[in-house]
Amino acid sequence: MKTGFDVIVIGAGHAGCEAAFAAARLGAHVGLCTLTLDTVAHMPCNPAVGGTAKGHLVREIDALGGLMGRAIDATGIQFKLLNRSRGPAVWSPRAQADKKVYGKWVKAALDREPNVEWLIGRAGRILVENHRVTGLALEDGDVYGCRAVVVTTGTFLNGLIHIGPEQRPSGRAGEPPSRDLAESLKGFGFEWGRLKTGTPPRLDRASIDFERQVANGTFIVERGDDPPVPFSFLSAPIERAQIACHLLHTNDRVRDLVRANIARSPLFNGQIQGIGPRYCPSLEDKIVRFPDKERHQIFLEPEGVDAREIYVNGFSMSLPRDVQTDLVHALPGLGDAVLLRHGYAVEYDFIQPTELTRRLETKRLAGLFLAGQINGTSGYEEAAAQGLIAGANAACAAVGGPGIELRRDEAYIGILIDDLITKGCLEPYRMFTSRAEHRLLLRIDNADFRLTPRGREVGLVDDERWDRFVSRRARFEKNLEVLQSTLVRSPSGDSLPASQLLRQPEVRLADLLATNRLPRFSIEPSDASFDIASAETTLKYEGYLRRQESEIERSRKDERRRIPSDFAFDHVPGLSREVVQRLEQVRPDTLGQALRIPGVTPAAVAVLGAFVGRPLPSRS
Amino acid sequence: MVWASRPQPMSFSTQDTIVAIATPSGRGGIGVVRIAGPDALAVSQRLITASAPLQPRHATFTKVRLNAEVRLKPDATSASSIPREADTPARNDCLDHIVATYFPGPHSYTGDDVVELSSHGSPVVLRAIVTEAIDLGARLAEPGEFTLRAFLNGRIDLPQAEAVADLIDAVTPLQARAAFDQLDGTLTRAIAEIDAALFDFIAQLEASVDFPDEGYHFVEPQTLTRDIDALIARTETLLAGAQRGRLIREGLQVAIVGAPNVGKSSLFNALVGASRAIVADAPGTTRDLVTEVVDIEGLRVTLVDTAGLRETTDAVETEGVARSHQVRATADLVVMVLDGTAKDNIQTTDNKGFTIFNKCDIPGARSARDALFVSAKTGEGVDNLRRAIVEALDVDRFRDPPGITNVRHIALVQRTRDALIRARSAASVEGGSMSEEFVLADLQEARAALEEITGRKAPDELLAHIFSRFCIGK
Repeated sequence: MKTGFDVIVIGAGHAGCEAAFAAARLGAHVGLCTLTLDTVAHMPCNPAVGGTAKGHLVREIDALGGLMGRAIDATGIQFKLLNRSRGPAVWSPRAQADKKVYGKWVKAALDREPNVEWLIGRAGRILVENHRVTGLALEDGDVYGCRAVVVTTGTFLNGLIHIGPEQRPSGRAGEPPSRDLAESLKGFGFEWGRLKTGTPPRLDRASIDFERQVANGTFIVERGDDPPVPFSFLSAPIERAQIACHLLHTNDRVRDLVRANIARSPLFNGQIQGIGPRYCPSLEDKIVRFPDKERHQIFLEPEGVDAREIYVNGFSMSLPRDVQTDLVHALPGLGDAVLLRHGYAVEYDFIQPTELTRRLETKRLAGLFLAGQINGTSGYEEAAAQGLIAGANAACAAVGGPGIELRRDEAYIGILIDDLITKGCLEPYRMFTSRAEHRLLLRIDNADFRLTPRGREVGLVDDERWDRFVSRRARFEKNLEVLQSTLVRSPSGDSLPASQLLRQPEVRLADLLATNRLPRFSIEPSDASFDIASAETTLKYEGYLRRQESEIERSRKDERRRIPSDFAFDHVPGLSREVVQRLEQVRPDTLGQALRIPGVTPAAVAVLGAFVGRPLPSRS
Repeated sequence: MVWASRPQPMSFSTQDTIVAIATPSGRGGIGVVRIAGPDALAVSQRLITASAPLQPRHATFTKVRLNAEVRLKPDATSASSIPREADTPARNDCLDHIVATYFPGPHSYTGDDVVELSSHGSPVVLRAIVTEAIDLGARLAEPGEFTLRAFLNGRIDLPQAEAVADLIDAVTPLQARAAFDQLDGTLTRAIAEIDAALFDFIAQLEASVDFPDEGYHFVEPQTLTRDIDALIARTETLLAGAQRGRLIREGLQVAIVGAPNVGKSSLFNALVGASRAIVADAPGTTRDLVTEVVDIEGLRVTLVDTAGLRETTDAVETEGVARSHQVRATADLVVMVLDGTAKDNIQTTDNKGFTIFNKCDIPGARSARDALFVSAKTGEGVDNLRRAIVEALDVDRFRDPPGITNVRHIALVQRTRDALIRARSAASVEGGSMSEEFVLADLQEARAALEEITGRKAPDELLAHIFSRFCIGK
């Protein structure tokens, strides 16, 4: 056996990098195992971070000391705050990354972390003694001891790429899949499933005449926000020049081509068994499932400032190469476009996340943690969020510490994990704001209030971030006081405290500040803290916030009723066999979680509630 | 019938076999013992002499056999306290002819195996059967436990379970019909329709928030308020019948008031059709409220006879007069009785009632065409009085059974409506609508209230409370 680690992380994608970084922060000696250093924090699909609810996840990762927010702020090439016309609870940042630079930035951050060591090679077998992880054997035979392993293998477990009739075992374009590791994991008896995802063709930027197509109205220019709003609470104002993207629409020719070739699509001819994401449909899906929709949006997004590749957002497909070429050429303004790479669909294995605890540790093996697509999720942000939690808890399992579990009412990360471990996955899981019961309280502006103190307790938040947070909190409290004590003139001419005036729907704090009526109100230059939004929301939507808080208080009764981890569900009289089966599979830790398990009725939970905390009758 | 008044821990078990007398206590033509649970059939087979297995859903004529030593205490009246001690030993004897019917689960009342044993309606026989079943391994059912099992097994939802209690409780055909409608799922369907529309609407609004880049509105801003208005209208329709429904379920109160010795109690007795209140020539005979429930045209009406209104120094009568005033204030209808023979009738008017002149049999009693004259003594005019009461209560508006009768349901539908109204105002504040997520916060609340009605999101104390209203055997 070679040198030992406290924690070994398999895979250096978005989940793996956050896991390694978080574990290292908690003092664990981390081995980060990857096939190559060229694809650290790689973006094999859309070169973008954030979006609705995903942006919330990134803010939460950042508030807990993670990498993703700072990485995208440092390397983003176009920033947008989505839903800006709506209320602050659903504002969501999104940014396009310079794909290559993003990966390099994350790798450099990990290089700077003395507790992280790169382990270049192909992970093979996970070593186990007495249901406890003891090490990892690489395929080349090297064996490393460790106390915890975090598996973040993305689409690499038995990955199979489809381009029309072509099928190739592969994790992602050009990279071989993980077979030994899949075998090793399968030996432990987990419940498995198979999912599918896909990516669109990439075009050669030089082959597209953007100026002409914009001039003749075929393309619409999409620009970022000016100034950009950063993701990270730590970021200074972003002054980088932003690139433009272009919007165009599909036409009848595209529709007819898809219809004519639908039998050659692996998605529709039975070649692909895995289930794809409904909310991120392939082009074939869009045309077949929404026959009434005349046209679909397509965004042309550069993969970097100087990158040659243009990502064709909205055009993911698994059709044969010749059809893909014809389809690209059928798009308005792209008659001469050159394909650098064809789109593909990839099928991969995942482990039903009902196998996991709230710490993302498997229930079968102590010290084995899973994060990212292996748990059935899609998206870099969902992966990174799980990576952070799995890494932190793996470190605690290895070197001691309290660990971290987040509730549904305090973070989207809590919702993400609770959904996964309670419901399992039937399709790739993507975060949405509508998954939150109390959306108005889970905002991007208060992610730090919600989570930075939690992160500090665990040890994820360093002194620099903590100091920033403490002053930001003081600033927030002072700003509220300023708003309550500063008299301003209302449109009707009365003089009243700004805090009261702000309760009127049409009055905006930004306007009051712009007209210099609140000189003592202080904001951070980058507004990464959303000082204005935090103060305004607290006052303007006080009634809504209070109502949601009292709802949480009411539901917390069930969330507080703990079910012991060794609770004998099969001894509870009155539960049907199916319900007992579901309960035993998920092993809910509270009555509240039990109530969210599909197929478990309120009546069944009422029965359960009568026995939790009381002696159970012996089985008859 | 034994009603559970004490708060008790609910037994949520459905794994054991329960037994209870399902018919009212006391003697009757027939009586029914109901056994439910996994051993219902086994217990029953050992209770009866028929050796062939009971056929599903077939009535089998057989005899009930008592194997064990059954001891009955003759004065035990309640099924909840089956006495175990002494006196009439019966050994290996047949006790009665019975009809046994086996309903295999899940197509039974409770959803598990049920056997109903119909014997002659002798309390002694019925109790003996129950005791025997308990000796064979069954457990005495708790109040409402059969219906609770039906709910736990998903046979019925919460409003339907509540309807069972209402139906059993009904004293008038209208009450019975309203309860049966609810049992039949009318309310459940009405709620489900609103819920489905609400859910569909929420889904579209959520899509607007979560997919802002799709380039179109999932719900056009103009249609937003219109759609919420439509939902509000649906809840209003449901609530429109609620007041009526509540009166049908809970009944109305009619107070008979007037000066002493005008014959209120005689009239009361005439209306009840029995000599219920004490009648005497002495003024001030009635000193307390006397109530009796009668069925007037299908409505449950509680008639209240009151003490005559006068100044008095008698402490008891003073209290009686105070109670008369109280009931006059709370009653749905007040019938003011005047003495038709008296010259100086003091007529205090009530805005919710009418005046009648009693003692019209006595010669020289007042007569006028538009006034109502009755004689409690001869019965003359009592039918007219009954009609007048029906008219004053506006009974016709109760002809169509309303969708909603229960205070719990009314309160929750009101909560739904109020949340919808808040959503409506959020969607149409001055200076433009608030954004979808605020409208959604209220819409979600509206939905949560609906789910509480059907029991999809019911806390367990609520379940225990609802099922504690039942008598044993239901």
